[in-house]
Amino acid sequence: MVNPADPLSRRRSLGLLLGAAPTLLLGGCALNGVSEAVGAATQPLNERLEALLQGKGKLPEFRPNQVDPAALLINSFNGMPDIDPASYRLDVDGLVSRPLRLDLAALAALPQQQCVLRHVCVEGWSAIVAWSGPRLADVLALAGPSPLAGYVFIASADQYYESWDMASALHPQTLLATHMNGAPLPAANGAPLRLATPVKLGYKLSKWVTGLKLMATLGDRRGYWEDQGYEWFAGL
Amino acid sequence: MAAIRYAPLWTRAFHSFNLLVLLLMAASGLQIYNANPVFGGRDGATVPELFTLGGWLAGGRDWHFGVMGLYAANLGVWIGLLLRQRHQRLAALGDVGTLRVSSNTPKRRLAAHRLVYSLMLIVLGFSLITGMAMYKPAQFWWLVAPFSFAEAAGHDSWQVLRVCHLATIPAISLLLGAHVVLSWRVGGLRLWRSMAV
Repeated sequence: MVNPADPLSRRRSLGLLLGAAPTLLLGGCALNGVSEAVGAATQPLNERLEALLQGKGKLPEFRPNQVDPAALLINSFNGMPDIDPASYRLDVDGLVSRPLRLDLAALAALPQQQCVLRHVCVEGWSAIVAWSGPRLADVLALAGPSPLAGYVFIASADQYYESWDMASALHPQTLLATHMNGAPLPAANGAPLRLATPVKLGYKLSKWVTGLKLMATLGDRRGYWEDQGYEWFAGL
Repeated sequence: MAAIRYAPLWTRAFHSFNLLVLLLMAASGLQIYNANPVFGGRDGATVPELFTLGGWLAGGRDWHFGVMGLYAANLGVWIGLLLRQRHQRLAALGDVGTLRVSSNTPKRRLAAHRLVYSLMLIVLGFSLITGMAMYKPAQFWWLVAPFSFAEAAGHDSWQVLRVCHLATIPAISLLLGAHVVLSWRVGGLRLWRSMAV
């Protein structure tokens, strides 16, 4: 029996609860504004766990016959830059003992490696791609990185920018790819030079890379999408 | 009227918290779905905004990966405690037998209800496994491997994982409907109140 003196009897509160259920749907819209705070509260721990989870060794690769060229979609935030291969240079500077300015011939002279990897986009799709080119670790080693360097800032010709932790940059399957699926990299996929790795989401894999800068700390510009709310570590 | 026999406090707490985080995980998951629909890709139909949480892809991911740890911990500890302390309440083969041969309606309902809520725990566990496989496909490659069974038929393990992970939403929704109806038929308002926090 409902006791009128008790405004929150069990039966009444149950009725209130059922009546309030539809507001949960409306509440969803209000909760959208809290998303950033939820991310800010939980991402540091997630990113730390991701970094701990990521090994230094090679990960299993796919078979070349698993490559599906049609599955790789094109994403770009700012169209496609026009790059002349003859005048193209890759700058490596920051906390290095020998700043470099490499042309494509110098990059081609480095040991080349092919990796058949799954490229995973933050949007949810993925594609198995065969990338080849020099390892990012070899290019950085040429420049003589300082032990103080903890991060790599990656600049692109289309003004896209990214920053990586050193461990991911030095991963044995992280490449500065010049070729894709056995052919020279198409312009839409980042020619003449782009990042490829099994350990990061697609938005970390800058296309049209023109500069690598070693840094001791992360600056204000952590990445084009990261600065708009995406997670920075973005490990796979 | 006899006093209500409440379920243990931990059962009620895990039960309610699971419902809350499940709603957050499902709604933020559908937000992520909309960035690239599992069916149809970029041209595929999206889920109405009413059922999504986060506002855009990064917001959806904030919620999904922000809450996943709570969801996993709650579910893991809950299932562990259930197996240890209340396993006689979980479905067993005897319940299937009851459904096949018994003509005692209350007994059949009870058996069906035990099967339904036990199956719900399995579906939730499956959502966790498929989610982990897609969250860290490179590090947890061994978790992705079992989903490559349809590769010979031209279905990449990634697409299989996406479909499996998404399928847990309609599956748990159907089971939830059955759970609500059956619990009402089994114990009515008294049973519902015994599980309320």
